[in-house]
Amino acid sequence: MAAPCDPDQLEFALAVPFPSQWEASIAVRSLSPDREPRKGGITRTLSVTENILSVKWTADEARVLRVAIASFLDHLALVMETMDAFGQSVPQ
Amino acid sequence: MTIVIGFEGSANKIGIGIVKDGEVLSNPRRTYITPPGQGFLPSETARHHRGAILTVLREALDEARLKPSDIDCVAYTKGPGMGAPLVTVALVARTVAQLWGKPLVGVNHCIGHIEMGRLITGANNPTVLYVSGGNTQVIAYSERRYRIFGETIDIAVGNCLDRFARVIKISNDPSPGYNIEQMAKKGKQYVELPYTVKGMDVSFSGILSFIEEAAHKMLSSGQCTAEDLCFSLQETLFSMLVEITERAMASLWLSGGPDCNLRLQEMMGVMCEERGARLFATDERFCIDNGAMIAQAGWEMFRVGQITELPDSWITQRYRTTWR
Repeated sequence: MAAPCDPDQLEFALAVPFPSQWEASIAVRSLSPDREPRKGGITRTLSVTENILSVKWTADEARVLRVAIASFLDHLALVMETMDAFGQSVPQ
Repeated sequence: MTIVIGFEGSANKIGIGIVKDGEVLSNPRRTYITPPGQGFLPSETARHHRGAILTVLREALDEARLKPSDIDCVAYTKGPGMGAPLVTVALVARTVAQLWGKPLVGVNHCIGHIEMGRLITGANNPTVLYVSGGNTQVIAYSERRYRIFGETIDIAVGNCLDRFARVIKISNDPSPGYNIEQMAKKGKQYVELPYTVKGMDVSFSGILSFIEEAAHKMLSSGQCTAEDLCFSLQETLFSMLVEITERAMASLWLSGGPDCNLRLQEMMGVMCEERGARLFATDERFCIDNGAMIAQAGWEMFRVGQITELPDSWITQRYRTTWR
């Protein structure tokens, strides 16, 4: 998964398929507003192509990257559980 | 008719409430309680909220007998509070707002307490003493805004009590403050503590350091009991709060004041009586963090057209009390 372009930077990419683009777009809008808590040392970009949510991190240190990914996965799981529990009634 | 659902989770409670034009339709809540001697840490608290939030949301809707389509607006706590728990709650609020196609409103937690207090007590234009584990402020509405007239310059009064409870291993169930209040009733001896009012502001961290040291020495030598220390700490802290509230009132000629510690209410009552002011207090359903208070403040904001666009719906650990 890692393909560093800057030799000193770690990179991590994640692709998450959703049932449709509608759900993927909701997820990206729910997950984007909060920036990474640290001031520097890590960047995160989120995007949606069709039904796939793509996330890419670049970081200076593996430690920082690990924490960011772990917390993102917790957030992602919560958003998906919320959709499963409360999303059925609104097709669009 | 406007129905607002409010999500609160800035500290160790996760609460979701539904308010319809001043009527609380449901207000379920869960509290993350840690063992004696331990406080609640951000990541563990967030984990607790993640585990409970969807159940609480289901309860809120069922109790209110509402469907998501009946709701007009989704309010959530934008701050202030602990980062990780705030994010957890904001994520669910943002997601359901989009799933249900409803506008989102980010609410200042402190304003939530004030608006709930106004709703429950019917107080028109109060001076508010807002005290909790994270905040200590004397607030009043002046010249088109809520303004802070006095506040703590270091830790909150609740934080001082909570941390003292940890030092002498008082239970966190239902809350350290409640248990200190019960023990204080059995205190017989007043242990002199520093008294640190600075104009309209107060400082608690030095009192905490002092009593931490005194507790170890005096308890082991049998000079006083844990109950005496609870009593002395409460009397000192609350006198300071009464003093700054009185000073704010003197400059405003108004009245008010919440919090569910009965001793604090009693002390405020005496002061208000001497000044010919009226004391309003709320009970634990509404003065402890809950979802309905966020719904109520959100209801007020939604009615005047203040909504939060998703890109602006980030949470913030620091957030001044200045809405309206």
